[in-house]
Amino acid sequence: MLAAAAIHVPAIRYLAIMPVIVLLGGAILLLAFQSLLRGPMRLRMATVATVAISLAAFGLAWWQWADVEAHGPYTTIAHAVVTDGFSVLVTVLVSAVMALSAMVAEGYLAREGIEGGELHVLALVSASGAVLMAQANDLVIVFLGLEILSIALYVLSAYNHRRAESGEAGLKYFVLGGFSTAIFVYGIALTYGATGTTNLTQLADFLSRNVLIHDGLLLAGMALLLVGFAFKVAAVPFHMWTPDVYQGAPSPITGFMAAVAKAGGFAAFLRVFVSSFGVLRADWRPIIYVLAIVTLVVGAALAVVQRDIKRMLAYSSVNHAGFVLLGLQAASAVGVSSALYYLFAYGFMVVGSSAVVTVIGRHGDRDHDIAAYRGLARRQPLLALCFAVLLLAQAGVPFTTGFLAKLQVVVASVDGRSVPLAVVAMASAALAAFFYLRVTVLMYGPGPDAAPAPVGPGDPPLAVARRTRLNAALLLELAPVAVADQPQRAALAERVPVPALAAVAVGICVLVTVVLGVFPAPLVDFAHRATLLFVP
Amino acid sequence: MAQYLPIFALLVLGVLFGALSFLASGLLAPRKKPTAAKLAPYECGIVPDREPPARFPVRFYLVAMIFIIFDIEIVFLYPFAVVFRQLHTFALVEVLVFAAVVLVSFLYLVSNGALSWGPGKWLRVGLPARTSESTIARVSVPPPPGRAA
Repeated sequence: MLAAAAIHVPAIRYLAIMPVIVLLGGAILLLAFQSLLRGPMRLRMATVATVAISLAAFGLAWWQWADVEAHGPYTTIAHAVVTDGFSVLVTVLVSAVMALSAMVAEGYLAREGIEGGELHVLALVSASGAVLMAQANDLVIVFLGLEILSIALYVLSAYNHRRAESGEAGLKYFVLGGFSTAIFVYGIALTYGATGTTNLTQLADFLSRNVLIHDGLLLAGMALLLVGFAFKVAAVPFHMWTPDVYQGAPSPITGFMAAVAKAGGFAAFLRVFVSSFGVLRADWRPIIYVLAIVTLVVGAALAVVQRDIKRMLAYSSVNHAGFVLLGLQAASAVGVSSALYYLFAYGFMVVGSSAVVTVIGRHGDRDHDIAAYRGLARRQPLLALCFAVLLLAQAGVPFTTGFLAKLQVVVASVDGRSVPLAVVAMASAALAAFFYLRVTVLMYGPGPDAAPAPVGPGDPPLAVARRTRLNAALLLELAPVAVADQPQRAALAERVPVPALAAVAVGICVLVTVVLGVFPAPLVDFAHRATLLFVP
Repeated sequence: MAQYLPIFALLVLGVLFGALSFLASGLLAPRKKPTAAKLAPYECGIVPDREPPARFPVRFYLVAMIFIIFDIEIVFLYPFAVVFRQLHTFALVEVLVFAAVVLVSFLYLVSNGALSWGPGKWLRVGLPARTSESTIARVSVPPPPGRAA
C-alpha cells in the first residue's frame, strides 16, 4: 500500500525561497486585486506595485547574500533548492531587470492603449521562474523553473494582440519552446536512468565515484539536456526562433526576454554542466567549443546584415550568448564567474537598449528600421547619447561593463587553454561592432530632412499620373494615398515622446553600464565571490 | 536489455491493437456509400437549414478554461485526500495556498466575463484608432458612457 509508507515533510529554510515567493505571490496578489476591481486597473498602480515587488525581491537577495557570506552556501527542501553566491547574483540581476522592464512597459502600454496589469503579472511570474532556475539543485526543479519562465514568456511575446507579428512570435516561440522542453525532459529521464538520481549534488557525487562502462545512456541524456539549454539561451544552431520572436514580441518584452531568459537559462546551464557533469568535462567541452564558435560567428555575421533594429538586437544576443558560452567552456570557477559577470552586464545593456527601441518605435511599435535613427542626435541628443553608450557597451568599448565582460570571458577561455576560441571571439566582437557603430553613426549623422528625399511608396503613381496627364478622377483617387504617406515620412523627423519612467529606466541602465565600467571593483568582486556551491 | 522487454512488448501490443482495429473496421463496416442525410451535421434531430457556423464565441473557450482550472485542482486534491492524515498541518496549509491560487485564476476569468453571457458591459474597451491601414473596431459593443472613441 502506498499510504502505508511514511511521508517526511522536508525542512524548509524560507529565506532561500523568499525571492521566488515574493515574485510569484506578488504576481498572484496583483492579479487578484485587478480581478476584484470594478473597472480596468490603472496602469500606474500596476507598475508601482510591480516595481515594489521587484525591489522587495532585490532586497531579499541582498539579505540572502549577507546570509551566504556569514554562514556559507546551503541547500534546503530535501536538497532540491540551493542558495549560494551564484544564485544570489542571478536573483539580484533578475529582480533589477524586472523593475526596469516594468517601468519601460508602462509607457509602452499607455502608448498602445492596452489596459490592465496582465503584462506585469506575467513578467513577474516569468522572473520568478528565472530565479528558481538559478536556485535549482535538482533537474526536476530546473525543469519547473524553465516551464514557469517559458510559459509566461510565450504569452508575453503574443501580448500585443493588435500586431499580427506579435501573435506569430508567440505561436512560434510556443511550438519551438514546447519541443525543446520535451527534449530537455527526455534528457532528464535518460540521466536519471543512467545515474539513478536527478539531484545535482548527488549526480556529481555519483559520477565522481563511479566510472560507467556503458555510458551511452548518460551521454545521450547529457546531449539532450544540452540541446534544451542551448535552445533557451539561443545558441546556434538552436537560435532559429530568436530573430522572429524578438522582432514580433512587444519591444519592452524583447529586452526582458533577452535579459531574464538568458540569465535563467545560463544559470541552470552553468550549474548543471560545471557542477554536476564536471567530471565529464572532457566529453562536453569540445561540444561547447564548437557551439560557441558557431554561435559567435553566425550571431555577429547575421547581425551585420539586418536592417530591423530588433532583429539586429536578436542576432547580437545570439553573439552575446556565444561569449557566455566561452565562460562555460572554460569549465572552471573563473569561467563561471566571468559568465555571470557577462550576464549581469548584458542584462542592463539590453534592457536599456530595448527601452530606447520601444520609445523610438512610436505608436504601433513599428518604426524599427534603422532609418528611424537617422539624425536622432539632432532631435533628441540625450536619448541618442544614452543609446550610443549602450550600443558601444555591447560592442565592448573600454570604460563600460561590456568591455570588462568580454575581457573576462576571453581571459577565462585562455586560462582554459582554448586560445583559438578566444581569438574567434575577439574577431566576432570586431565584426559585431560594425553594426553598433553603424547605428551610432546614423544617429549622429544628418537628419532625414537634410538627406535626399527618399521616394516613398505613394509617390510614383502620383508622379506618373501628373506626367501622363491622366484624367483628374484618377489623380483625385491617388492623391489621398500620397498625402497620407507624407506625414509618415515627416514624422520620422519629429521628436518622439519619451515617457518619464522609461527615461528613468534608460538612465539607470546607462549609469550601471558606465559607472560599473569605470569603477569595476564592486561588481567584479561580487561575481568572483558568487561561486557555485560545488565545482569539482 | 531484459528490463526493456515489457516496454517492447507494450509497443508491439499497441501497434497490433491499432492495426487490428483498422482491419476490423474495414472488414465489418457496411459497404454502402453514405447518403447525403447521413453526412449532414446532427442538430438535435432537427433538419439543418444552413451550414453550421464555423466560428463560435470565444467565451466557450473561457468556460473550457474554468473547467480546466477546477480539473487541475481536483487532480491535486485526490492524492492529498489519500495521505493528508500523515502530512498534518503543513500539507493542509499548502493545499489551502494552492486552492487560493486556483481561486485567483477563477476570479480573473470571472472578472473577464467568462460567466456573463449576452452583450458585454464589462468589456474593456480600448478601441484602436481608425487609421488608413486599419478599420478595426468592435462592432457590437457600444463604448461605455464617457469614453466615446
